[in-house]
Amino acid sequence: MVATRVFEAKEKGASLYVVDPRRIRLAEFADEYAEIEPGTNLAFVNALIHIIIEEDLYDHKFVAERVENFEAVKESVKDCTAKWAEEITNIPAETIENIARGFAGADKGSVLYAMGITQHKTGTKNVASLANLVMITGNVGREGTGLNPLRGQNNVQGACDLGALPNVLPGYQKAVDPATKEKYGKVWGDFSCFDGNKIPEMFDRIDEGKMKALYVMGENPVLSDPDQQHVMHCLEKVDFMVVQDIFLSETAQYADVVLPGASFLEKDGSFTNTERRAQLIHKALEPIGESKPDWLILAELMQMFGYEGSYENPSAVMDEINTLVPQYGGITYERIQDVGLQWPCPNLDHPGTQYLHKDKFIRGKGLMTVTPYEEPGEQADEEYPLIMTTGRVHHHYHTGTMTREVWTLDREYPGGFVEINKADAEKMGLWDHQMVKISSRRGSITAKAVITDNIKEGVVFMSFHFAESPVNKLTSQVVDPVTKIPEYKVTAVRIEVA
Amino acid sequence: MIYKLSKDNLNNLLGVWNKQQQLLVPYGQKDNVMLLPWNGDEPQLDYINLALPVKEFLFEQKEALFSWEKKDGTFEVNNEAGTGVEKKILFGIRACDTYGVFYTDRFYLGEFEDTNYRARRDATTVVALNCLTSGKNCFCSSQGVGPFSKAGHDLVLTELEDCYLVESATDKGDRLIAWGHDYLRRHEAQALSAEKKDELEQKVKEGFQVQLDLSNIGEELSKTFDADFWEEEAHACISCTGCTSVCPTCTCFNVVEEVEGDAGRRVRYWDSCQSAHFTRNAGDHNPRSNVSRARYRIYDKLKYIEERFGYKGCTGCGRCIATCPTNISILKIIERIQEAAKKPDAKLLVSQITEIAYQRPENDIAMHKSLYMPDVATITKMVDETPDIKRFFLEYDDKELHKNFKFKGQFFEISVFGVGEVAISIPFGPSQRDHFDFCIKKVGSVTEKLHAMQPGDKVGLRGPFGKSFPYEEIKGRDILVVGSGVGLAPVRTMIVQIMENREEFGKIVIMASALHDYGLVLTDDLEEWSKIPGVVVKYSLKYPSDEIDAYTGYINDLLPDLGLAWQNTTAVICASPRRIKKVSKDLLALGMKGTDILTTLETHMRCGSGKCGHCKVGSHYMCVDGPVYNYEEMLNMPPEF
Repeated sequence: MVATRVFEAKEKGASLYVVDPRRIRLAEFADEYAEIEPGTNLAFVNALIHIIIEEDLYDHKFVAERVENFEAVKESVKDCTAKWAEEITNIPAETIENIARGFAGADKGSVLYAMGITQHKTGTKNVASLANLVMITGNVGREGTGLNPLRGQNNVQGACDLGALPNVLPGYQKAVDPATKEKYGKVWGDFSCFDGNKIPEMFDRIDEGKMKALYVMGENPVLSDPDQQHVMHCLEKVDFMVVQDIFLSETAQYADVVLPGASFLEKDGSFTNTERRAQLIHKALEPIGESKPDWLILAELMQMFGYEGSYENPSAVMDEINTLVPQYGGITYERIQDVGLQWPCPNLDHPGTQYLHKDKFIRGKGLMTVTPYEEPGEQADEEYPLIMTTGRVHHHYHTGTMTREVWTLDREYPGGFVEINKADAEKMGLWDHQMVKISSRRGSITAKAVITDNIKEGVVFMSFHFAESPVNKLTSQVVDPVTKIPEYKVTAVRIEVA
Repeated sequence: MIYKLSKDNLNNLLGVWNKQQQLLVPYGQKDNVMLLPWNGDEPQLDYINLALPVKEFLFEQKEALFSWEKKDGTFEVNNEAGTGVEKKILFGIRACDTYGVFYTDRFYLGEFEDTNYRARRDATTVVALNCLTSGKNCFCSSQGVGPFSKAGHDLVLTELEDCYLVESATDKGDRLIAWGHDYLRRHEAQALSAEKKDELEQKVKEGFQVQLDLSNIGEELSKTFDADFWEEEAHACISCTGCTSVCPTCTCFNVVEEVEGDAGRRVRYWDSCQSAHFTRNAGDHNPRSNVSRARYRIYDKLKYIEERFGYKGCTGCGRCIATCPTNISILKIIERIQEAAKKPDAKLLVSQITEIAYQRPENDIAMHKSLYMPDVATITKMVDETPDIKRFFLEYDDKELHKNFKFKGQFFEISVFGVGEVAISIPFGPSQRDHFDFCIKKVGSVTEKLHAMQPGDKVGLRGPFGKSFPYEEIKGRDILVVGSGVGLAPVRTMIVQIMENREEFGKIVIMASALHDYGLVLTDDLEEWSKIPGVVVKYSLKYPSDEIDAYTGYINDLLPDLGLAWQNTTAVICASPRRIKKVSKDLLALGMKGTDILTTLETHMRCGSGKCGHCKVGSHYMCVDGPVYNYEEMLNMPPEF
């Protein structure tokens, strides 16, 4: 969907720069394509910032008026030359320079990124460095600019907005802040409120015997979380486990209780998409079998737990959101019948917010962060000479819980595969579509070799859609220290004929 | 006869029709106008086109072909064509889509009638509403099919300043006129209003933003199959299949088995040549790459369909352009084609010169109940030929079918109920009437299941399909048969006929090849045949064998010393396309003519009747026109099999 807009912009004369260790389809349309070594994003972005400052291409006015900590960042990147970055990223210095100059020279520059930025040990810093880049070039708060994380799910934004995070209540209100507890307490009554565990930490707590029960909703950690052995061990160990999902996933096999959820077609409600736009969905089918919409399952559970309030329908839930979540104060079902509204939308007269940080950052001035380059958690060595990076294919969604049920999608990619560069395959004497064994320091899996020019030498690509080739048996437990996002993008592996 | 409808009465007329049959009219806004049940509200009349073509009402996205139930050790098979079909009137269809119906009528009902399409088509009345404006991707006028509907509709409305002109084209249209007699009256000035209508169409045509000269597009395409621009224009395709889903003339389908306990259904879904798997073989070989896949769609729409059926394959609706997420545009591609065809070095390619004025094949398909319904047969015997090839002996449960069996064709479709269907060549001759036998190699899910079956188990049979070897035409000649591995099975049918009439042929050489000795099939037959005077049987293996007296190496090495009169020899080769080419080259060098080398190209044959589209190569449907071709014909096809 986003690429369609990119194509449109290209046709209107925009320049496109693609940075990816895989020569993705979009790379074919790029003015510059940078085939980056996995795990070296920071070196690349810091070099861009270095060049832009060094060649005086930055937006002086924006930096002076809207940003703080510029000097510290400038100082921190002073040695990050294109030549230096070339050594680390394997991107030719000239390409880095061209991208820096091109991006700085654009009157509107937009950065689109997804998991290739975040699923690293340095995920938070990677995002911060890109924020530095858009701030020094003044590409914030205007149409066609900004730092745009592309969401992998239709409603991941909405889920985060409404508190599906371990440390905040709906509206990103800090759980440990007494004011938050007081505010919500007025509506919900007494409840416990503390910083919870992030997903990888939950498994560790289970392993330590400190967490006894697990409730998994619409998530398939057996396939999607790193170090599958560890995850399966913990799921076996936990005393009580509930899974709420629309299909009986690999994770649901471990559950004591399975609550069948209704699909998007079978329920009313709203989703909030990647541009913070809350939109209505309408039921087209009655829920199949015993399944129920997620909101109803939760509402019924709450009542069983003794909560006194009740919700009649999703609209009633939204009424409560309006009163408790400032960003959603004016987002009512009446107002989002047609094209939806973008938050922040604090009250009924507010038209919604098309661009964040338009004249002013939420915190006042934009804080630039010093983000020095760090090596990824794993390095290739003699025993594991290749770097595996993981991702998706067009025809499957995540762990395939849904898409592998659809013959036409599953037919396109019927099983696990590993993309290997031609030169590497030749060295190993592999032929196309041969079954190979891929091993990391954690374990081994098998998959079909796909020999291609579309991946860097020394790098292999696998996707995590296939239970029969569970990539996360191989990935490491290295995580970003702040967000605990696993480093799915860099795993040292070895490949042999199966 | 032209009728007049006052604008105020349109909704009243719709109300009258709705009392007779379910009426669907355009509702919605802008690009999202769809046919929905008429609810009393005025329909939306301000739209360039409906979001989707009317195709979905005639050829449903998913529909059952037949159902089966296991009962008392056998299977009861029931036709599902027409199940749940209700009479419908579709109002507001544009000319590009009525032409689409005109073509799909020809495609589905022309020969080998599709029973499912027939049921829906008979129940559907199409009311066209002529276009007075055009969208930015519209080019129906350049294709000569619009903007006013000429075919495919039952009734057509043309909006003038003060009224609608209403004209019927069929009996169904006449019925609509009769039902609406309160609001329709005969136009007092017939000739004048017809003239007015033509003038109006001319004006609308002139207003089109896209004006193309497509009069020579077939030849232009014949020159640009290998042009450089394809890579650039087509490589972005991500196989989302949006273009084929919204196309009024796309007709391909795939079948899927649905099973519940001891019963099930075979359903068909829309399929798309733009998905990679559409032509992917077992073993991951795919004759079409990302680029040639996208190119195939353009050739099919602008050339192959017209060559085969004499109808436009593209109606110029422009939906594929609007729907493509990677901005692949048939208009942009037409521009590139016409540009490239003008270059002095652009030459007509032999693989793109096809002159097929569609002819009904001499052999009709035996349809006992419906095109897609198998007849139940019992496995009477199974014989191991090689470790992964078995010979199955089958008999129809309905013995009448054997009695009335007319020997013809080249293959059958064998169903394992609940698992799927495979195309298997006919290895027997016309004298064998009371039972059939087939050599089946274990390669996929259906054949695996077949191999696991026991005598007494039931399967489904459809067929025979396809064009067989021209046995009569090759009488009096020397015969060379080359069969690689299981490839000997499809040729067996001809060998049997030749052996039964041995005196009518010259010298006969049969060459069987395989990697290992245990890969040879029909070894008992081969031994029997080798005893017949004038028949020579030769074996060649890649790996040496102690079991059998075989040459180690390619059979090509043996050809020069076979002592055949090459000018008067017909060769029959059954192998992979690559092997066919290698052997044929040597035979040509020995003095044979390409037309005397026969082969069978069994690629992706599924429905057997030129409907599902999987085996289409250029303008050819392998399952109907083939799979038997001579070498010259094979070279004249696009290299996509």
